[in-house]
Amino acid sequence: MNLMNMMGNPMLRQAMGAMMRGESPQAFLKNLANTNPQLQGLNFDDLEGTAKTLCEKNNVNMNELADKIREFANSNII
Amino acid sequence: MGDTTFSGGWIFAFLIIAVLFGGGGFGFGGNAAAAGLATMADVNAAIANQTTQNALGQIALSSANNNYETAQLISGQNMAMMQQANSDLINAIQGFNQVSSSIQTGFASVNQNIANLGFQLDKCCCDIKTTLLNDRLMDAQTKLNQQYTAISNAEQSQYILGQLGTYTPRAAVL
Repeated sequence: MNLMNMMGNPMLRQAMGAMMRGESPQAFLKNLANTNPQLQGLNFDDLEGTAKTLCEKNNVNMNELADKIREFANSNII
Repeated sequence: MGDTTFSGGWIFAFLIIAVLFGGGGFGFGGNAAAAGLATMADVNAAIANQTTQNALGQIALSSANNNYETAQLISGQNMAMMQQANSDLINAIQGFNQVSSSIQTGFASVNQNIANLGFQLDKCCCDIKTTLLNDRLMDAQTKLNQQYTAISNAEQSQYILGQLGTYTPRAAVL
């Protein structure tokens, strides 16, 4: 398993496309919630608070994960 | 072109997606491991592996530099040894040439002495032959004188006998 395999997530690719098109993250997530029950009921108006809560519940270090995402984006992998 | 700097809350949107759907790619949380995708541990291991690779690269580079320096040192020492060996060889050849020259000088002296000895032998032989010839000549001279004396004595005897009136045949001359 290497770093390149992490970009196989279709939702992340969709999010990247939406971001590149200039869409808002809230609108993207709300649209995505229509077909993904995991996203339903989340507060997209407070994305930072929602992200923190999810990371805590899943025992994920948010800052570390954010750094990884930035690292992948800056390395042109996305 | 849209926003690629994660401003406007996009970084949190990616965080939410990564946490909830990480099993499909990022592998953070969820069932990533069960799906055979990268987990946080995999990411950390990959980064640690990269760090290890970099360290190994530095070690390899350092080793290569050390090998180069060692090769240079060995090359320098080999050159010094070759130069020393060359100098020793030249000295040995020069020494051999001196010995050879001395031997040739000795041979020349010996040859001269042999030639002198040969000359002395020839002279000695000549002297011996001369002495022998002289001895034989003197012996022949002595014998001749003796013959002359004998002849003279015979003639005197014949004369005396003739004067006495007694006939005596003339003695044969030797």
